[in-house]
Amino acid sequence: MADQEQVIASVDDLNALIDRMRAAQVTFATYSQEQVDQIFYEAAMAANKARIPLAKMAVEETGMGVVEDKVIKNHYASEYIYNKYRNTKTCGVISEDPVAGIKQLAEPMGIVAAVIPTTNPTSTAIFKCLIALKTRNAIIISPHPRAKGCTIEAARLILEAAVAAGAPEGIIGWIDVPSLEMTNTLMRSADIILATGGPGMVTAAYSSGKPALGVGPGNTPVIIDDTADIRMAVNSIIHSKTFDNGMICASEQSVTVVGDEAYTQAKAEFERRGCYFLKGEELDKVRKTVIINGSVNARIVGQSAFRIAEIAGVEVPKSTKILIGEVESVDPSEEMAHEKLSPVLGMYKAVDFDDAIAKAERLVADGGYGHTSSLYIDLSQKEKMAKHAEAMKTCRILINTPSSQGGIGDLYNFQLAPSLTLGCGSWGGNSVSGNVGVMHLLNIKTVAERRENMLWYRVPEKVYFKKGCMPVALDELGTIMGKKRAFIVTDQFLYKSGFTKQIESKLDQMGIVHACFYDVEPDPTLQCAQRGVQQLAAFDPDTIIAVGGGSAMDAAKIMWLMYEHPEAKFEDMAMDFMDIRKRVYTFPQLGSKCYFVAIPTSSGTGSEVTPFAIITDAETGIKWPLADYALMPNMAIVDTNNMMSQPKGLTSASGVDVLTHSLEAYVSIMASDYTDSLALKAGSLVFKYLARAYDDPNDVEARDHMANASCLAGMAFANAFLGVNHSMAHKLGAFHHIPHGWANAVILTRVMRYNAAERPTKMGTFPQYEYPHAKARYAEFGRACGIQGATDDEVFENFIEAIEELKAHVGVKPTIKDFGVDEQYFLDTLDDMSEQAFNDQCTGANPRYPLISEIRELYLDAYYDREAKSYED
Amino acid sequence: MILSDSKVELVRRNNKVVYQDGNRLVKVFNERKPGSDVFNEALNDARVAEAGGRVPRVLEVSQIKDGEWEGSWALALKFIPGRTLEDLIAEDKGNLRGYMEQFAQLQIDIQTADAPLLNRQKDKLRRMINGCKAIDPSVRYDLQMRLDGLKGGTKVCHGDFVASNIIVPDDGSDPYVCDWAHVTAGVPEVDAAQTFLLLQVKHPERAQLYLDLYSRMSDTPRQLILHWVPVVAAAELARGRQAGEKYLWQQVESVFNDV
Repeated sequence: MADQEQVIASVDDLNALIDRMRAAQVTFATYSQEQVDQIFYEAAMAANKARIPLAKMAVEETGMGVVEDKVIKNHYASEYIYNKYRNTKTCGVISEDPVAGIKQLAEPMGIVAAVIPTTNPTSTAIFKCLIALKTRNAIIISPHPRAKGCTIEAARLILEAAVAAGAPEGIIGWIDVPSLEMTNTLMRSADIILATGGPGMVTAAYSSGKPALGVGPGNTPVIIDDTADIRMAVNSIIHSKTFDNGMICASEQSVTVVGDEAYTQAKAEFERRGCYFLKGEELDKVRKTVIINGSVNARIVGQSAFRIAEIAGVEVPKSTKILIGEVESVDPSEEMAHEKLSPVLGMYKAVDFDDAIAKAERLVADGGYGHTSSLYIDLSQKEKMAKHAEAMKTCRILINTPSSQGGIGDLYNFQLAPSLTLGCGSWGGNSVSGNVGVMHLLNIKTVAERRENMLWYRVPEKVYFKKGCMPVALDELGTIMGKKRAFIVTDQFLYKSGFTKQIESKLDQMGIVHACFYDVEPDPTLQCAQRGVQQLAAFDPDTIIAVGGGSAMDAAKIMWLMYEHPEAKFEDMAMDFMDIRKRVYTFPQLGSKCYFVAIPTSSGTGSEVTPFAIITDAETGIKWPLADYALMPNMAIVDTNNMMSQPKGLTSASGVDVLTHSLEAYVSIMASDYTDSLALKAGSLVFKYLARAYDDPNDVEARDHMANASCLAGMAFANAFLGVNHSMAHKLGAFHHIPHGWANAVILTRVMRYNAAERPTKMGTFPQYEYPHAKARYAEFGRACGIQGATDDEVFENFIEAIEELKAHVGVKPTIKDFGVDEQYFLDTLDDMSEQAFNDQCTGANPRYPLISEIRELYLDAYYDREAKSYED
Repeated sequence: MILSDSKVELVRRNNKVVYQDGNRLVKVFNERKPGSDVFNEALNDARVAEAGGRVPRVLEVSQIKDGEWEGSWALALKFIPGRTLEDLIAEDKGNLRGYMEQFAQLQIDIQTADAPLLNRQKDKLRRMINGCKAIDPSVRYDLQMRLDGLKGGTKVCHGDFVASNIIVPDDGSDPYVCDWAHVTAGVPEVDAAQTFLLLQVKHPERAQLYLDLYSRMSDTPRQLILHWVPVVAAAELARGRQAGEKYLWQQVESVFNDV
């Protein structure tokens, strides 16, 4: 017969036992799933076979409960727990997803300290031993002195079966002579505590300093609604309340019936089935017997109704099933409102369902927080059921279910896990709110492999290009799409210079009616867009045609958004994101009312193919940068005819902007094969044609290629995004009004050198960005632009030189100071600029994650034309 | 210490005799009383006084030099001319409620003071219950479990707060509380539970009144006080209290601290 080597009667004995069991558990931890499952099987079988003798022992030793019901509990603890976890993986790899690169490994926790109550002394022991064995833990049982014989016997026979099936000797242990000191020592020495007991015990478990799964008492209130099947309800309650003489902690403690008629029916049914309604003084006698000093009297716990009546001096038939006290108060001063752990039930009448809920809430609050509540109702009463579920601060809410059998799970609902340790959540001061099972006794290790997230390539569905393409492309609006009403958005210059005429006449030809808003200013304001939206809404178009530079296209995108979704808030839409897919705010989708056509008249912003727009609130001065693919135009028309009249300054500024777009998209941490090809081509076109377009505005070939370069770079950065160069340029524009393209160019080579550092202070965060490699990327870019050199370093230096030459050629001033920025004002705004540049949406894709102080130095260098530094950390 | 011939015996108990000796009140303990207990009582008096309690001032702890009590330890305190609250209640039963209000308020006032250096209430109760082998070990286990849930407080808890330990001075000044041998730093509800229990045993007609008054005046739910009754009942049994023994056993044996 398996047994402990010595009787554990002192703290020293216990410490020695723990040492021995630690060694056994180390061996057990090496067992395979097959070995463990065999042990689990044999242990469950052994406990199951002994269910009757164990039940008899428990009743005999504790003097509480009903043998036949304890047989069920033992049967349940062995069969249902085995069945629930027979196929559960608890050893080694328990789940794996090779595609996602994630797997979970289960390991045992070590030694489980298990406190077993007197109310369920054998079934809880069986339950805890089985889940400990299934999880390769050792378990030491601390029985209640009133039930130590039967609890230890349950543990002993499971140990015997487990060892016979191959488990290490002594993998289950117990305290033979329980005391508070021993229990506390055990709890302090264990790796995890499974405490089922009274409030003091659970408090002790949580105070031990060790992780604990402590669960406490309940005070289950039942409501019988007037729609319920009264006969089923009453008999379920009797079935549950008499089960093991009411000792299951989920057992009903009070019943509240809604309405006079239902109450009368319920009372009659209780009486018909052998329950006894206490009359006159009998009620008070039972009250004072059942509850003493506000707590249940030990003498009546688990006794029969007849025996309790006898102790109270009340005469009832021997076969009485439940003693029922009809009471009104739900205050703790009413004994019937307490947990009674016996076949004694309080009964309340509620005027309506709300009154019943109020009573149940109070009963739960005074002794049953977090445990269980119960409702009998017609299932069509969804609203009432929802109200009840909302109001009950209990972790189990049982519907039309006997709560003793229902709460422990898998008997009346087959998705509620079977368990004899029922968590009560933080309401009950517990760490668990569900039914405790094997997962609570495992340490789960998660192995996560590096993975690259899905990337994308998103552009307008139609991009039309070639000199003279505009009328042909617009034709589609009428002939193919059947559009009827077009709204043109542009600026005053373009409108007055007759630029929109050719569009309007094309629309007239197709019979598309049109209107035009031509008040877009540079750096468009919200107020301007609001005026435009008023006209737009009044016109009710099915197409918006944005004509102009970045400002007109941005303003038109914003108007599109405000027209289709007037409820959307800029504050929310402008919230910066780390990953555009994971942003907090979900952008509304556009296009339900209008088709959006973008026609650029300068070669720079790329706005015709990007999902970006910036708008300024003139009243507050706040700039709202919006970025979402919802803002992507549906059609872009890149017609060089529209670009021929660009003045030199615009050709220069927008041209170097294109170069910066392509360079930043190429070194971005989000750069992909798709965007690289666009960026390289755009960059090489700028190198080849910008100077020509600048020198000779009528050089059609150069204009043509610059138009394409702008659009290609736009598509590259619409997907790979930009970097800190743009972040810094945005602030130079905002604070010092340097035109955007030049603001980019004036810092470009310094930022390139900064990004090219092989030893940056911090690199950008993105799984595909494996190590700092911006220098090599710049060198690749340089080579594509025709720059030569023996090494990357050499190409890089020559590339920097070539960019500086190009900048000089197109009239970009060499320093920030040269743009007329006052030194004192620059210095006064420097800290704000640096912090805001750091916080700009563009910063996130930069290959080097910048420090604010580094941005500040870059600004200073570019202001004072300081010697270029290495910018290594 | 030398006792004068003019001393007057006030009380005689099984381990001590209390005399009034001029303006001194002298507690003379029998030879079995360890000196440490007597010093401890004097220390308790001093600590409670320092915490702001109205305690008769300690004058001396020493052994009696000659006479009947030679060699016994004695504690001399300033004598407060007055009557005990117990006497006043006995003589003026019609005013019971007023006296009980005064009684509860006095206890609540004492319990507002912090005295963390006093013996710990929880430790003391644990020692007493552990030492009381007359209680069935299973019941003792439940009592220990319940006690284990007690949060250690630092409030002054008299430990034997009864009307006979309260002196109402003849000069009309505020009452003094004496006999601080059992004082601990702890939780007021437990102290109130003990007073309730002692009243149940000796003056059951006052017990419920006291509980209601204390609960209301200190804003403490009754059930928080009653929760500790079995624990303090066990401590009383451990102390060898014989009065009301049957009632004490009933309380102790009712304890069920499980689910």
